Amino acid sequence: MHPFIKNRVLSPCNMRMKSLIVFIKTNAIITVFVLFSSTVFAQKVVRYDLYVKDTLVHFAGKEKRAIAVNGQIPMPTLTFTEGDTAEIHVHNQLKEETSLHWHGLFLPNKEDGVPNLTQMPIWPNTTHIYRFPIIQNGTHWYHSHSGLQEQIGMYGNFVMLKRPSSPSFRKGIDDLPTLPIVLSEWTNLNPENIHRMLHNANDYPALKKNSVQSYGEAISAGHFKTKMKNEWKRMMAMDVSDVYYEKIFMNGLPSSELKSISGNELKGGDKVRLRISNGGASSYFWLTYAGGKITMVANDGNDVEPVEVDRLIIAVSETYDVIVTIPAEKTAYEFLATTEDRTNSASIYIGNGIKQLKSPLPRLKYFEGMKMMNDMMKMNGELDDMGMAMSLNQMDMNVVMYPEITGDAKPKQDDNDPNRYNANALGDLVTLNYAMLKSPTITALPKEAPVKELYFKLSGNMNRYVWSLDNKVVSEADKILIKKGENVRIVIYNGSMMRHPMHLHGHDFRLLNGQGQNAPLKNIVDIMPMETDTLEFNANVEGDWFFHCHILYHMMSGMGRVFSYENQLPNPLIPNPKLAQRKLFADDRGFHFMAENDFATNGNDGMAMLQNTRWSIGSEWRLGYHDSHGYEVETHIGRYMGKMQWLMPFIGFDWRYRKFGIDEQETNLFGQSNSKDLRSLVTVGVNYTLPLLIVGQAEIYHDGNIRFQLMREDMPITKRLRMSFMLNTDKEYMAGFRYIVNKNMGITSHYDSDMGFGAGITFSY
Amino acid sequence: MAMALMLSISTCFAEIKNAKEETVHIYGNCSICKSAIESAANVKDVVQVEWNKDTKMAVLTYDEKQTNQDEILKRIGLAGYDSDKFRAPDNVYAKLETCCQYERAAKIIAKIEASKAVNLAVEEKVVAPILETKTEGEHLQLKEVFNSYFAVKDALVKTDGTLAATKAVLLLNSINAVKMENLTKEEHSEWMKVMKDLVFDAEHISETKDAGHQRDHFTSLSKNMYSLIKVSKQETPTYYQFCPMANKGKGANWLAKENIVKNPYFGSKMLGCGKTVETIN
Repeated sequence: MHPFIKNRVLSPCNMRMKSLIVFIKTNAIITVFVLFSSTVFAQKVVRYDLYVKDTLVHFAGKEKRAIAVNGQIPMPTLTFTEGDTAEIHVHNQLKEETSLHWHGLFLPNKEDGVPNLTQMPIWPNTTHIYRFPIIQNGTHWYHSHSGLQEQIGMYGNFVMLKRPSSPSFRKGIDDLPTLPIVLSEWTNLNPENIHRMLHNANDYPALKKNSVQSYGEAISAGHFKTKMKNEWKRMMAMDVSDVYYEKIFMNGLPSSELKSISGNELKGGDKVRLRISNGGASSYFWLTYAGGKITMVANDGNDVEPVEVDRLIIAVSETYDVIVTIPAEKTAYEFLATTEDRTNSASIYIGNGIKQLKSPLPRLKYFEGMKMMNDMMKMNGELDDMGMAMSLNQMDMNVVMYPEITGDAKPKQDDNDPNRYNANALGDLVTLNYAMLKSPTITALPKEAPVKELYFKLSGNMNRYVWSLDNKVVSEADKILIKKGENVRIVIYNGSMMRHPMHLHGHDFRLLNGQGQNAPLKNIVDIMPMETDTLEFNANVEGDWFFHCHILYHMMSGMGRVFSYENQLPNPLIPNPKLAQRKLFADDRGFHFMAENDFATNGNDGMAMLQNTRWSIGSEWRLGYHDSHGYEVETHIGRYMGKMQWLMPFIGFDWRYRKFGIDEQETNLFGQSNSKDLRSLVTVGVNYTLPLLIVGQAEIYHDGNIRFQLMREDMPITKRLRMSFMLNTDKEYMAGFRYIVNKNMGITSHYDSDMGFGAGITFSY
Repeated sequence: MAMALMLSISTCFAEIKNAKEETVHIYGNCSICKSAIESAANVKDVVQVEWNKDTKMAVLTYDEKQTNQDEILKRIGLAGYDSDKFRAPDNVYAKLETCCQYERAAKIIAKIEASKAVNLAVEEKVVAPILETKTEGEHLQLKEVFNSYFAVKDALVKTDGTLAATKAVLLLNSINAVKMENLTKEEHSEWMKVMKDLVFDAEHISETKDAGHQRDHFTSLSKNMYSLIKVSKQETPTYYQFCPMANKGKGANWLAKENIVKNPYFGSKMLGCGKTVETIN
């Protein structure tokens, strides 16, 4: 237990490091790295020692496990100056493996910190030393790349300063008082459990966020047809984000004050530069400021020409440098980071005096979003952009859900207005988009280099939480070979229904955004559904570099690729490449378990299932309390086919025993006699998801009997009430309701043709 | 009656554990304010607030372990009511009932140095005194003319005839302030061609509050501004935009500073109608 965590008082300017950190001010010259440095400065080695340790925190009403580094969350801010050599000693005091990735940095591949790809994991009770020259400047951050550790505390600011003598030093920007801020979220749920629940389409987060979008809510909002059409197109209710968070943090605090920087008290008229990194695992944040416009001066650690905006959205893992002004004396102005779903926010008050508040962003109009999705979704599951060539976040389909842009009521919009999704054209607010980013320097790639073109389609399946590139997850795809020296151009189209922040390790790419030679340099590009973006980079550092969606749960589901340089030297930190690859692939090959059982008056009704990207192993049972009600277990092993995974062929085994049926039916609809009283049969069949999310099942047993079945589960009637029904050609039927009490418990009532009427309590995992 | 009240209060308070009581000043006027303040602040079993409209003082009773004074005052602030710690957002204050619009403590506006490195296109600059521009590099003296033009355009985007008229007066001033001897050769010859028409259209826009009539003149004003900006070097690009439906279906152009269509001929009726036809650097 760390008392420091529990009553942290952070004065914002002194959030750096605790006594454990030792600066070694040697002038050691590392000749290997002198090559990279064109300066005449003596090389300074800056050393940090990081102690990674389990801890208990009390962030949101309950004591929960977290990981603290040097006793703090977030991890300490690491500061370097361009030209330094970084030496970071990571002491793993956890009971599990770890790693640290330096996000957005140019470094030798073996220092990149991706376990099982660029190094083996840092085992418990061992120390790993990262050492690399700092050959760039800007706002970056660092985080664990192991499992889901990033969610529970392993994120921190990583700042690389310019030398004042550098030609890129900008007066009025680089000399302003500065605060690095890392944004993050906190959930009381274990992230492993969140990951499992996402894969099982659990709607508990929607319940917490009040975004279930049930039929009842649809009717009262006058959107019954919208909901019907949505389910007809086989979509489940969508939200702009998947996970519910109890708290949002800026540097580990939901609310904090910035009254002085480096001992100088802030006063009216002062400008402050905020170096903001989004260290959230899955949340995008809107940034707004009570003191007026925000001037954005850098993105992903690279300078851009200043742009003045009212607000911007920061994608997961992006960084933005912004300048804010304190417009009045004796006032502190609220700088607000609000989650994209608008359920939560964190604030920092900049200045001294009465706190000027900023209006929170209003709640999303979910049914307008649903209607928009209906229009975009074709019956076959492909998206249709209706002729709008979308890119660079300029058109945001979600504006239909933003009351501050499209009004509180239903919008009276002209469906042919070419700007109907353009927030900047519709409202008075100026929202940043990628087309507004312009590099102050020419970023063109070497002209003579050969060009390699790659095309990726981001693909996904919300219902089963499968996220991939070209419908292949990391473990299903080969490494992408590139040659040192060539220019790699990547065109990415997002054919999935969620936005994805795609991150490339070890390189900055140019985002082709209409700024010609001054295209901005980035290492994350956020791609909204139906957008196409083009990026390019010069392949100049050998190694195996990860390219992946930075939403933690998407990455762990396999949404990524590895870029690998041809004919490169083996990585000394990967002694056994085959073993490393198997361990890397294990991340998205894992099975997710779910189970539920209804303890009802007429019997037990339940299921247990193991699923991964493609496979499903499931068992359903109906167990009566006495022989006449019968006992029945059906087990299926199936494989999901196609991108939408609507089709699942399976093989299975049925076993049942019953003495006297209430239902005396002994032949099925086809006149085949049927073995309800004692059956143990092998079966082959298919599941197919029909419109309205009804699962049709056709199967044939080894005795020649055929069975067709229709089933719909968990149809949302109200926020907490779910309905299910089933009927089949064995003349069996079932209908029931479930009222959700909490994430593991429900109250049920149902009527079953075998077991009659029953009521009970369902426990689910 | 008093007894009953006492009882009900004491039962309310009885439910708040670890109770802490504080008295703070909250701005407001009437009984509408009272219910708005209290309903924004109260949380069942956690927070109970009683505001007195005569003394403007509120008694906060809350569970110390679950919340704090700042959280409560922030909620009250977001409902539109200032306290000594928090100032409500201006847009929320503006939406309060008229009787609730209490007198607010004035802010002392800070002097903000215009930083040269940060190139801020601040709205205020549009109406900045014209005299100042002379010291700033003379080749840029047409900038004020263009900026005043953009201000007229923005007023027409909002279909605000009154505002357009006042902006047109500023436009006239900036046209009159141009010193022809400081113009480049190309600018000078173009200026001679269009100056009279610019004055004519600007005068007409300034003399009426009817946005429809103003828009007729804005068509030719825009055309002349376009030919002027083509020969004049500006720091930032300007976008020449076109809407085929304006000018009674004949189509009309305008200039904009942003590459975003905001139609000055229709305003909110068809804000997004049009496209950029040329980028002038």
